[in-house]
Amino acid sequence: MKNFYIFIAVLFIPWSSSLAKYDEFEDGDDIMEYDDNDFAEFEDVSEDTVTESPQRIITTEDDEEEATVELEGQDENQEDFDDTDTQEGDTESEPYDDEEFEGYEEKPDASHSKNKDPITIVNVPAHLQNSWESYYMEILMVTGLLAYIMNYIIGKNKNNRLAHAWFNTHRELLESNFALVGDDGTNKEATSTGKLNQENEHIYNLWCSGRVCCEGMLIQLKFLKRQDLLNVLARMMRPASDQVQIKVTMNDEDMDTYVFAVGTRKALVRLQKEMQDLSEFCSDKPKSGAKYGLPESLAILSEMGEVTEGMMDAKMIHFLTHYADKIESVQFSDQFSGPKLMQEEGQLTKLPETKKTLLFTFNVPGSGNTSPKDMESLLPLMSMVIYSIDKAKKFRLNREGKQKADKNRARVEENFLKLTHVQRQEAAQSRREEKKRAEKERIMNEEDPEKQRRLEEAALRREQKKLEKKQMKMKQIKVKAM
Amino acid sequence: RSPLPLARYKPPATETNPALEDPTPDYMNLLGMVFSMCGLMLKLKWCAWIAVYCSFISFANSRSSEDTKQMMSSFMLSISAVVMSYLQNPQPMSPPW
Repeated sequence: MKNFYIFIAVLFIPWSSSLAKYDEFEDGDDIMEYDDNDFAEFEDVSEDTVTESPQRIITTEDDEEEATVELEGQDENQEDFDDTDTQEGDTESEPYDDEEFEGYEEKPDASHSKNKDPITIVNVPAHLQNSWESYYMEILMVTGLLAYIMNYIIGKNKNNRLAHAWFNTHRELLESNFALVGDDGTNKEATSTGKLNQENEHIYNLWCSGRVCCEGMLIQLKFLKRQDLLNVLARMMRPASDQVQIKVTMNDEDMDTYVFAVGTRKALVRLQKEMQDLSEFCSDKPKSGAKYGLPESLAILSEMGEVTEGMMDAKMIHFLTHYADKIESVQFSDQFSGPKLMQEEGQLTKLPETKKTLLFTFNVPGSGNTSPKDMESLLPLMSMVIYSIDKAKKFRLNREGKQKADKNRARVEENFLKLTHVQRQEAAQSRREEKKRAEKERIMNEEDPEKQRRLEEAALRREQKKLEKKQMKMKQIKVKAM
Repeated sequence: RSPLPLARYKPPATETNPALEDPTPDYMNLLGMVFSMCGLMLKLKWCAWIAVYCSFISFANSRSSEDTKQMMSSFMLSISAVVMSYLQNPQPMSPPW
């Protein structure tokens, strides 16, 4: 609305100036009419004076016509003047009346304004006004764009600084634990680049490898999108924090079969819905961690109670309680296959591939307003990760636990097979048909009639064999039933 | 804890499907192109300006694996939409209220 008022005010200035101009023109026009008709003798004079200034013309002509002005009364003249508005035909008496009044500057203005009321005053179009103010919307837009670009540069730099601060604090620990720190997959040989891999303006990756028990560790620094102004504004409504996601891929022989997760209740509920393995193996709702001495904010999702018991040793509890505010979720799983894939019914023919993994998601403190110093507080969490790797290797289920685990897995597989049974049948059927068709085609394409005959005979024999086999099976079943 | 034997591969190989995780740059790209075509065809100035914004947002959110050509083409298209709208009609943009 403010802009609207400014706009109106801005328009008022040129409008009033144009109004004055039109007054002059209109007076000139009126005078021109009367001059042509009645003041032929004064034509030259009137033409010259008209171009200069209409007001001066009025006074000079009045001087000339003073005699005629004094003769008639003003009221009559006003009436005549009004008549002239309506009747254009009248010639001699009217122009005198006009000029009588033109000497009086107030009255002419009043009469002129009476005359001019029906005429609308045209707004000078904005682009002809030649002022920058009329382009205020464009200026606003360009300012917005500049603000966006500024924010992009600032946000990008901040994310960059945060990433490098994190890396500098963690570099030592990582280098002491892993042979290969930093790799971007482009070199043929496995050499440490010692640098973060920038995937995006807000995502940085780091691949570490070369440690006993684990195949490798992928660390993803998922920062907030500080480079996008829209995101910054959205975050003012809904605060969020930077996240550090660590995914450790374990060697097959180094981890036993269990599925276990610890984290904030919200995160666990979400993970249970999203993650394939958690939804299949951990059927219960997340239990409170208070039983094991964890703070109330943390909850546990586990395949079996035994796993929880085994995982929650003193050191782990120490880690979890001290850094509970920074932990979003911790997931150990031997059946990890990522989030549930939204596939159509007909496409599921095989169980998704699983990998033994440990997943950690940490929140960087500061919930958005992080500074590079906050990265130091994440260092103990990395030690927790390393400890967990060793623990996962050491932890073995006892016999009961193993049996339960195996049963669970078998159950899951069976369910899956049942679901896809129909699809697999259809797939097998279609494959058989394809084979038959291919055979027939071959027989048809065979030019040599002899070969054709032989192939046909071979096909017939095969079919007969199959029929016989089927009949045998049926007989056997019948016998068994009996 | 020392690095001992295995100096494994490099992969990261990473993301199964980055498009699934954050479709913003693709949406913004598409929106930008739609708006710039609207602005050009219907001679609407505000469409063209929104197209410029969309292409900027798409650029800011883009992944490193994305084609710069795509970004540049949508950016150029939106700029051309703005320029063409102003050449055809030099009047300043009128606010919609």
